[in-house]
Amino acid sequence: MPAPQLLTAGIELALNKLLALDPASQQRLIPLNGKRLRVNLDELPWPLTFAFSDRVDILTDEHQVDCTIELSVTTLQKLQDVSQLSLLIQQQELSLNGDMHTAQSFSNLIKELDIDWEEHLSRYTGDVIAHQSFKTARRFHHAALSRLHRFGEILRDTAMDEKQLSAHPLAVETFSEQVNQLRSDVARFEARLLQLEQQKGK
Amino acid sequence: MSEPGQSQPQSDDQTHFGYKTVEKQKKASMVADVFHSVAGKYDLMNDLMSMGIHRLWKRFTIDCSGVRPGHKVLDLAGGTGDLAAKFSRLVGSKGEVVLADINNAMLKVGRDKLRDKGILGNVDYVQANAECLPFPDNHFDLITIAFGLRNVTDKDKALTSMFRVLKPGGRLLVLEFSKPEFETLSKVYDLYSFHLLPKIGKLVANDSESYQYLAESIRMHPDQETLQLMMQHNGFEQVTYHNMTGGIVALHRGFKF
Repeated sequence: MPAPQLLTAGIELALNKLLALDPASQQRLIPLNGKRLRVNLDELPWPLTFAFSDRVDILTDEHQVDCTIELSVTTLQKLQDVSQLSLLIQQQELSLNGDMHTAQSFSNLIKELDIDWEEHLSRYTGDVIAHQSFKTARRFHHAALSRLHRFGEILRDTAMDEKQLSAHPLAVETFSEQVNQLRSDVARFEARLLQLEQQKGK
Repeated sequence: MSEPGQSQPQSDDQTHFGYKTVEKQKKASMVADVFHSVAGKYDLMNDLMSMGIHRLWKRFTIDCSGVRPGHKVLDLAGGTGDLAAKFSRLVGSKGEVVLADINNAMLKVGRDKLRDKGILGNVDYVQANAECLPFPDNHFDLITIAFGLRNVTDKDKALTSMFRVLKPGGRLLVLEFSKPEFETLSKVYDLYSFHLLPKIGKLVANDSESYQYLAESIRMHPDQETLQLMMQHNGFEQVTYHNMTGGIVALHRGFKF
């Protein structure tokens, strides 16, 4: 089975479904119409070429494109903050060749995706059920986050104070400083020792 | 080696229709009958028969097409327009896609499907025989024929015609059933296509004969190397092929220089 095509079919289907859920995405696709953007992910053996029209087609071809981006999956997550772009290029975590405008328009297309899930659900369930479902889901989400936070605190207190399995971050910092100090002292002592050995040799 | 129940053409006026031998002039109308019969359920049957994998084979064909905005593309035996829909977006408003099929019923299904998807403007629909294409010389940047060449009566004539209408530098992509690479796969494939496939055809499209013909026509189609040689003999250069799903399907690619 052609694996690259299975992957691109999955990404293409998901991306176009998401874009279809956001009516404003058609407007953001206009500057990209007819453009092609290639993404070379370090983790993938094949390039992903995004071809834009009134939707997005994803190919694995290696023909000429308007813009090429080379990066890893971890860098992809950092790209959510566009202000980090220059820094990532300087740090050589990201390579960008070709038309910068295409890359920016693609970034805007994804970043500005605004889907009203409640509205879409209401088409199938009606307004009341959709609203109540999302209200319950939001409440559950907040409760789950709060419990998770509390659980983290209990786990930290138990590990640090009761069982003494780990140290407090401040203690770790102090210890690291002391280790650094000791390393400097040893280095100075080693240098001094070497100097004395050389003097004795003369 | 001949398959059981298979007959051989006795003269130049005869050809294969599955395992049967028929007059050459009758084959086109017999193939047309098959596709008239299955046109309405063509997409559903393709998905069922291949378990959806035909979509990946077609995606691979598009990946190998090198098609660019502004290109002219001929999708021969284009059927229900799977390739043409994608090419239409890839060539853009300055490009041109011609969806051609010898069968009017298939062409109508393809046209309706593409229009329902909002694909208009750069797609033309032409009922044409691949053996005598009604287009000027050196016209297309790309020609594709997906699961259509095995139904053509005179394949050499069709390849010559495609070569004529292709621009220098253009490419031909032939996606077609071929010969499985492994003996075990071949046996499983035979069991599936001769026993299960006609039953699925009977159940879904109420037509087992057409799917019996499908299985037989696949066996009678030239294997990978033979088709490669045929393309070379008809003028194509740098002819290569890529097996997919163990050679059940192969994509042949050739260029005109």
